[in-house]
Amino acid sequence: MSNPVLDTIRSRRVARNLTDRPVERALLEQVLDAARWAPSAGNRRLQRFVAIENPLTLRLLRMVSPGMFQRPTAAVLICIDRERVVSFGMRTNLKGLSVDVGTAAQTILLAAHSLGLGSGIVTSFSQAAVRAILNLPERLSPELFVCLGYAEPAQPLAMRARAPVTWQSLTDWERFPRSKS
Amino acid sequence: MASPLVLSEDEALEIIALLVTAARTQLDESAEYAPLRMLAAVGRLAGFIAERATPETRAFLAGPLQHMPDAAFRTADPARYAADLDLVCRAVAEHLARHFGLDSDAK
Repeated sequence: MSNPVLDTIRSRRVARNLTDRPVERALLEQVLDAARWAPSAGNRRLQRFVAIENPLTLRLLRMVSPGMFQRPTAAVLICIDRERVVSFGMRTNLKGLSVDVGTAAQTILLAAHSLGLGSGIVTSFSQAAVRAILNLPERLSPELFVCLGYAEPAQPLAMRARAPVTWQSLTDWERFPRSKS
Repeated sequence: MASPLVLSEDEALEIIALLVTAARTQLDESAEYAPLRMLAAVGRLAGFIAERATPETRAFLAGPLQHMPDAAFRTADPARYAADLDLVCRAVAEHLARHFGLDSDAK
């Protein structure tokens, strides 16, 4: 029996070749609304999203983002609000902060895919340069871009051509055997 | 004869930005990304200058330089990746020798 959620998860791919077609504002807002439903530790919502549509801003962001191979027509920058982190008495390098960035990113990727958009994550960028281009307030730490656009039919090879990964190859069950040493 | 300009200020700035920011991101990234970033800069530079370059350089950009190894092979087949890069390096050197007239200069 078809399961639309599983189908969406299984059919999503990183889109590195995007067309020039802009992402409609209504779609971008739906993607952002989906991100609001991502799991967040303690429901603290320590992330902030910066949505970017302006072509020149996107062009400059790409220039300072070596990992941004695609030319997105929209992007969502996921930031950690460090002032908010501190207000909860938490350390700003806490592992859970990155987990929440990841859950938001994955939610955005799946939402975008379900709406017919291509997407891809970029973490290789100069935080200092991105901060300068976007005039980011000091409290916001830029962590991850989700690039959005309409995917070209032809896409480059994935970065790693390895043996197929299965859930079995990624999973161990229960306890590991006790070490003999 | 002066060499013609093949890069606009905007294009040059884009390459500078890519290389500078890649130098910074590389401090936090896996070493395997280093050649990838360099080749990305090469690809962008080649794309920028192709239309304004000499026919010979344009042919070089459209030929040997297009055969840069795919990132997919970097970890899956490191030896092939290195060999493919060597081929491109050799092609670069051969084009340099022709472009700068090394052979005729040596006579």
